[in-house]
Amino acid sequence: MLAQRAGTTALRRVAAAPSSVFKLAPFAAMQTRPIQTERLTPADEAAILAKQRLNRPVSPHLEIYDPKQTWFGGSAWQRITGASFSGALYASAVAYLAAPLVGWHLESASLVAAAAALPVAVKGALKFLVAWPFVFHAINGVRHLAFDLGIGFSRATIIKTGWYFWGASIVGGVYLAFFM
Amino acid sequence: MAALRSSSARVFAAASRPAFRPVVAARGMANLADGATQSQQASSEQSPKLKTFQIYRWNPDTPTEKPRMQSYTLDLNKTGPMVLDALVRIKNELDPTLTFRRSCREGICGSCAMNINGTNTLACLCRIPADNSAEMKIYPLPHTYVVKDLVPDLTLFYKQYKSIKPYLQRDTPSPDGKEYRQSKADRKKLDGLYECILCACCSTSCPSYWWNSEEYLGPAILLQSYRWLADSRDERTAERKDALNNSMSLYRCHTILNCTRTCPKGLNPGLAIANIKKELAF
Amino acid sequence: MASVARSSALLKQVAAQQSVAANGLRVAAFHTTSRKSLLPPPPQRIEGTVNDPVEVPPPSPSHGSYHWTFDRVVAAGLIPLTVAPFAAGSLNPTMDAVLAATILIHSHTGFGNIIVDYVPSKRVPKARKVFTWGLNAATVLVGLALYEFETTDVGLTETIKRVWKA
Repeated sequence: MLAQRAGTTALRRVAAAPSSVFKLAPFAAMQTRPIQTERLTPADEAAILAKQRLNRPVSPHLEIYDPKQTWFGGSAWQRITGASFSGALYASAVAYLAAPLVGWHLESASLVAAAAALPVAVKGALKFLVAWPFVFHAINGVRHLAFDLGIGFSRATIIKTGWYFWGASIVGGVYLAFFM
Repeated sequence: MAALRSSSARVFAAASRPAFRPVVAARGMANLADGATQSQQASSEQSPKLKTFQIYRWNPDTPTEKPRMQSYTLDLNKTGPMVLDALVRIKNELDPTLTFRRSCREGICGSCAMNINGTNTLACLCRIPADNSAEMKIYPLPHTYVVKDLVPDLTLFYKQYKSIKPYLQRDTPSPDGKEYRQSKADRKKLDGLYECILCACCSTSCPSYWWNSEEYLGPAILLQSYRWLADSRDERTAERKDALNNSMSLYRCHTILNCTRTCPKGLNPGLAIANIKKELAF
Repeated sequence: MASVARSSALLKQVAAQQSVAANGLRVAAFHTTSRKSLLPPPPQRIEGTVNDPVEVPPPSPSHGSYHWTFDRVVAAGLIPLTVAPFAAGSLNPTMDAVLAATILIHSHTGFGNIIVDYVPSKRVPKARKVFTWGLNAATVLVGLALYEFETTDVGLTETIKRVWKA
């Protein structure tokens, strides 16, 4: 029964086909296909795919992603500020070790004297440049520890506290630089 | 046959009026609803609301050509409200070579995940902002290998999904021999996890995943991993934890939280990862 | 049958391309990635077939959970050590040495994380080794310098305080 029905469908199709081709007579030339197909083994197919993959570009990422998230989300600056402080610590510590050999004076007394000799504006700017990253790293570090405890993960909280911490770090930096 | 006839009609319509085709019959499915807006528009004579879409293009047939941005301008009065509607309309009426994935158009299949105006989301769930005339920028998911235009290759993503064994693993049969029962409280733990559709929006929003996708699993897969860790019926929790306990698979997460901010389903991959870390820590 | 359908699709495409030309669509040149990116992604290669899962690395808690927990404990320990000098004005030599040591550990693991992130052992194993051992050597040097400084000079917090008030 089923086979019979399939047979009639096929027959109907064959019967219908010429008429539709007929309707499209002006475009009959388009039906010939200049492309030849060939059978490929799965290994060949895999090789072609692997070759195609090598051509693929990487879609743009950092340069097109919302800067509010990648740059002002805070995590990136946690790393930047931390690495700057640690880098400064490592550099000055190595310089301190090398100082007697090269003849530098990096004892606390001479550092204090050097700082005192700076003009007030320069001193203030330098102090803020140190104080802001310090406050940012400190308070944002606490925020990250809270995240690690599973606190403050709702989307609204993340966005809101992110901006609060930026504000607080700037206020804190100004306080440390100019009022301490 | 009906389909064939209508497409041949479309051919004639297109051939006779290539540039302007206000023929409603020549529209694709996604634009059927526009018929109503259009007739409405004819009566009220709305001024056209033009919006330009800048779309990332790259063709694998010409691999030496650099990817480029192509602009398309649509009248929003004749377009559906979502970005996917606009893409479908561009493909139907302006440029059939534009390539993108789409299927369900209701945010359940995850096919149309892409980067729209800087944030990853599903094109079908993302409204076209109608209040301003700013250009919309549409890119494929960030830091993925592009197959063509907006289609990224997610092979690695799926291979990573497979590696966490995303299925129930149990040795003991259920007491009544029928089903594995779960308390309401235990079932509730899976809420916010089982809804994930694996659209890869979160994973491809994560800078850590951008730099280390070969070894770091990324937020989507880790959320799925936690879905099985949190399942009271699963008996391989220890094994699952061991699989994550190395420097790369889990711990490249630095709580950047782009994942939570981008998830088009409103889930919280960041929290799921934090929970895994907590369970592994103590 | 199929060929008929395809021919019409092809025609449609031709017609549409003409209309595209008529509309005069703009095309802008575009760079995918910055040309000087430090560690550009390599051409795509997939290990195994699409149906094989990626390899699961062997468990190593000392680089995983223990490392993570240790990091958090050190970071949390820095909170009182950071607040104390502000509250007390300065620190006694012992606490100052503890602070210096904790900061050193925190810096070392922080740099370590940066190396793990940006110098992946899977792609550049030799560079990774160089960086890791370079960091270890630097940390030892810095530890030595901090020991010198703490034992011969006035101490970390006191120095910062004096420079700050200078």
